[in-house]
Amino acid sequence: MVFMRDMNDAAFERIMNQELPDYGDTPCLDGPPLEERKIAIVTTAGIHRRADAPFTNGVGEYRIIPEDADMADLIMSHVSNNFDRVGFQQDLNVVFPIERLREMVADGAVGSLAGYHYAFMGATPPTAHEAVARDLAGLLKGDGVDGVLLAGV
Amino acid sequence: MSGLAHYLERHGLPTTVIALIREHVERMRPPRALAVPFQLGRPFGAPNEPDFQRRVLEAALALLARTDGPVLVDFPDAPPEPEQAAEGEQEGWACPITFAASTDALSDAEKFKLLLKQEIALLRPWYEESVERQGGRRLDGLTGCAPEEIVDHLVDYLDDQTIASFVAGEPMARAIKLCADDLKHFCYQAALSRPGTPTGLELDNWFFGQTMAGKLHIELRALLMSMEDPALHRVGAINLVPHTMTHHAEAAAGEQVKQP
Repeated sequence: MVFMRDMNDAAFERIMNQELPDYGDTPCLDGPPLEERKIAIVTTAGIHRRADAPFTNGVGEYRIIPEDADMADLIMSHVSNNFDRVGFQQDLNVVFPIERLREMVADGAVGSLAGYHYAFMGATPPTAHEAVARDLAGLLKGDGVDGVLLAGV
Repeated sequence: MSGLAHYLERHGLPTTVIALIREHVERMRPPRALAVPFQLGRPFGAPNEPDFQRRVLEAALALLARTDGPVLVDFPDAPPEPEQAAEGEQEGWACPITFAASTDALSDAEKFKLLLKQEIALLRPWYEESVERQGGRRLDGLTGCAPEEIVDHLVDYLDDQTIASFVAGEPMARAIKLCADDLKHFCYQAALSRPGTPTGLELDNWFFGQTMAGKLHIELRALLMSMEDPALHRVGAINLVPHTMTHHAEAAAGEQVKQP
């Protein structure tokens, strides 16, 4: 198990005392009801299509996951060993809930899904994501996205 | 993750974060976050639990309606526990490897390769079974090398640290990490298909405590941690053996010290 409470003292302290930037508060944007929104997933699980290059440590780069990609083709190259991978190995949806989202769209609970989802690798200084996040925001808006689900590992 | 939420929201995109480390979102204050009491690595709770995953997803997406941020909401429920395996199925899965012929003429490195390849041969039917069960999904493939080739590369490196990188375009530290992960993913996929429902901890203890591939990881860790090159040292110290499994490395080191 890799619950925070089960970590050894050194690992727990390293995570708790990790230096984090202060972003202050960011006003929450308004938007339409969920059943009219277009949702994209942005994960930091370090997953990508098999043919994509594995992630590089500390760079803040991302990989694209097209909505019509073969989701069975996604593999993980996250640099860290210190989180559970067995859940992902048994079921992609435990880190990248694409089937659950598609079900919500089919049920009418979510409007639609983005044409592209995005994967970063965590264990990267948050500031390394700044330049690519600006670029990413433009891509997501170009896709008509008005709701981003961010999930780490 | 919280940083990305700030950036995206400031550039016009409503966001909602699933947070496994509550303390980090308390400090970084993303616009909207759902704190979940799950294992690291499992933001949607548990594998093959679609109803539970959907509840987590709905709770996170519901936060998009909130504009009174920063919003931090706790998901109330622990994930479903996997069914316990029947007694006897929890025991470790030691691959019964034996040398088929005399190995007197082989070097230690050649013997190690032979054992590792026998283990791969024993695991391969389970790996293929797992691939079939998961609809063709394969967990390895970071390097394009077959597990047997990875064994050759990594044992060659244990034997001679002056060899060239065996993954095109990658420095040695990264080549070792990618190859080691690829071999590990192959073994885990094989183990996932065996009868019973192993937990992540059981699989980790099986891999690092009982397999030749785990022994290879532990030997690489010891070698790299003794090296001065910072990239190699870092891979050895951090990236090969999880901190929850370092007792297997310490046990192996203790056994080596005891040997005359």
